[in-house]
Amino acid sequence: MLTEVLERSRGLVEDTTYRRALDWKKAGGKVVGCFPVYTPVELIHAGGMLPLGVVGGGTSVELAHADSRFQSFVCSIAKSTLELGFQGRLGLLDAILFSSICDVARNLSSVFKRNFPGVHVDYLHYPQNMSSAGVIDYMESELRRVRDNLQRVCGVEISDDRLSASILVWNRWRALIADLYALRRDEPQKISTVELYLLFRAGTLMPVEEHIPLLEASLAEFRSRTAKPRDCIRVVVEAAFCEQPPIGLIEVLEEAGCYIVDDDLLRGWRFFDTPVGEEGPPLRSLAAAYVDGSTYSSVRHDWRKKRWEGLIDRVRLSRADAVIFMPAKFCEPALFDYVLYREALEKASIPHLMVEFEEKMWTFERTRNEVETFVESMLFD
Amino acid sequence: MITAGIDCGAKNVRAVILMDGRVAGKASVPAGMDAASGAEKAFDAALKEAGIARTDVSKIVSTGAGKNEPRFTNDVVTEVGADARGIHQLYPEVRTVIDVGAEEGRAIRLDARGKVVDFAINEKCAAGAGAFTEAMARALEVPLEELGALSLASTQAIPMNAQCTVFAESEVVSLVHRKTPKPDMARAIHDAIADRIASMARRVGIEEKVALIGGVSRNVGFVKSLRDELGIEIILHTDPEFVGAIGAAVVATDQ
Repeated sequence: MLTEVLERSRGLVEDTTYRRALDWKKAGGKVVGCFPVYTPVELIHAGGMLPLGVVGGGTSVELAHADSRFQSFVCSIAKSTLELGFQGRLGLLDAILFSSICDVARNLSSVFKRNFPGVHVDYLHYPQNMSSAGVIDYMESELRRVRDNLQRVCGVEISDDRLSASILVWNRWRALIADLYALRRDEPQKISTVELYLLFRAGTLMPVEEHIPLLEASLAEFRSRTAKPRDCIRVVVEAAFCEQPPIGLIEVLEEAGCYIVDDDLLRGWRFFDTPVGEEGPPLRSLAAAYVDGSTYSSVRHDWRKKRWEGLIDRVRLSRADAVIFMPAKFCEPALFDYVLYREALEKASIPHLMVEFEEKMWTFERTRNEVETFVESMLFD
Repeated sequence: MITAGIDCGAKNVRAVILMDGRVAGKASVPAGMDAASGAEKAFDAALKEAGIARTDVSKIVSTGAGKNEPRFTNDVVTEVGADARGIHQLYPEVRTVIDVGAEEGRAIRLDARGKVVDFAINEKCAAGAGAFTEAMARALEVPLEELGALSLASTQAIPMNAQCTVFAESEVVSLVHRKTPKPDMARAIHDAIADRIASMARRVGIEEKVALIGGVSRNVGFVKSLRDELGIEIILHTDPEFVGAIGAAVVATDQ
């Protein structure tokens, strides 16, 4: 069963025509695109719509139009996502949500609005001051605004009851993803990062009710696997929270001798350290989760706990030997934070390596060489 | 104990026979299109120089861009690992190694035991490697072997702004049209590579003593430019292009 699930997952991840979402659409459903990093998917789900992860074109989309809209120093995900729109591959979207993660995402939201007037484009202004007395009120009001707009898209009242039910479903889904991550952290020989990633990402491309049983069954099979640990170093991968690296690059890291024991791939889909509150007014619970329950992130300013402290904690919790800093080319939030992370890692005597990527990268020999050297220098003392 | 190290580089394959820690034989052949066959030839030539047979060699370790190509080796080591072991064997006092080969430049910082502390690799752009000097020598219509000595006769420094080989070549053509003396152009070329290599070395942190290895360190013009740029003395080995192969043979010995 597991092989079949993983093959299906790979098919969904590599398919930029979003065929499962198209089936949903053909059956009369509405589809809402979620541009990274964090999107409150519960709002979409509660309206009976499908939240669809839109994270660029991967390796398969040639940029025929988008290059003329953006400068050469803009990250690939912005260009290829726009290109998907121009090529009609996002024609299935009834709405798309962007948020305040960086200047590029903000402008992409406006470019989308201008070029695709038939799609409802919303932009979430997340709070920037987490210690302000009114921060949860503000976040709640922003979520209410987006909910009201989504209600107009789906034509259904997104009531508190519906939203509370959605919170339960997505808490369950995130708990299963967390279980997969815990298994990989504790027994990385049983589940590779490529397997985990494919399975996880497939969940951003299909209805959550359909994905949960797959996760449950796969988790049981992964747990029952027997495999001997290899002679690898344990690493945390940081900075791939928005644009996603090619799967080939993740494979190279594993082949070169790394057990990836934690990462921030698709971080927005598992943004919370603790489950969203299941009691009380649901909008308030979602707002509180963002303000007080989110993980550290380069796209969420929170001076109560420094981001680099979050990274050091993650290294300690996952018993990692090193950090591989893997930002997308031109990703400003990640690259600015590299300075802070690097300083903290060196102070804590945690080895680190920087590996930059682009989504259309197809040759990995330079990276393989660097990672092998890094692993060799740590394994053979 | 007799071991061998094979360095399958981008342009040349080098083989070294190490006999009780001493280089007993060495050979270099062009890599060509088939690194495996180049490795066979280099290994046989090195054996011949050492006056021994294949069966006398206990262990063979390969390194370099084509390190997985030879079928007859027992193990592989990364290029950085091989450079580190090789230089530590030859000069234990060295803490920074700069290796400039045909297609790639590397900077490596070592600790007192010869362990790699940090490293940087520059291979995306040929402007920081030997291929750049080859292209520039062609543009100046000067044999590559004479480019280094030519630049030592320069009387003025000319900045070169281009960051890639193709643009740099057109910059050299502009200098030619302005009747710039060839020694000054040759120096500008070496200063440009030295500038890139020094930036990479600064990324890992330069700690003395510093050794320069790789085929490009045979270019006296480049060595002068790098010494001027770093402002420190640089150790040069008599066979700088063989240090990686020596390191691989040392790894074989240690295993």
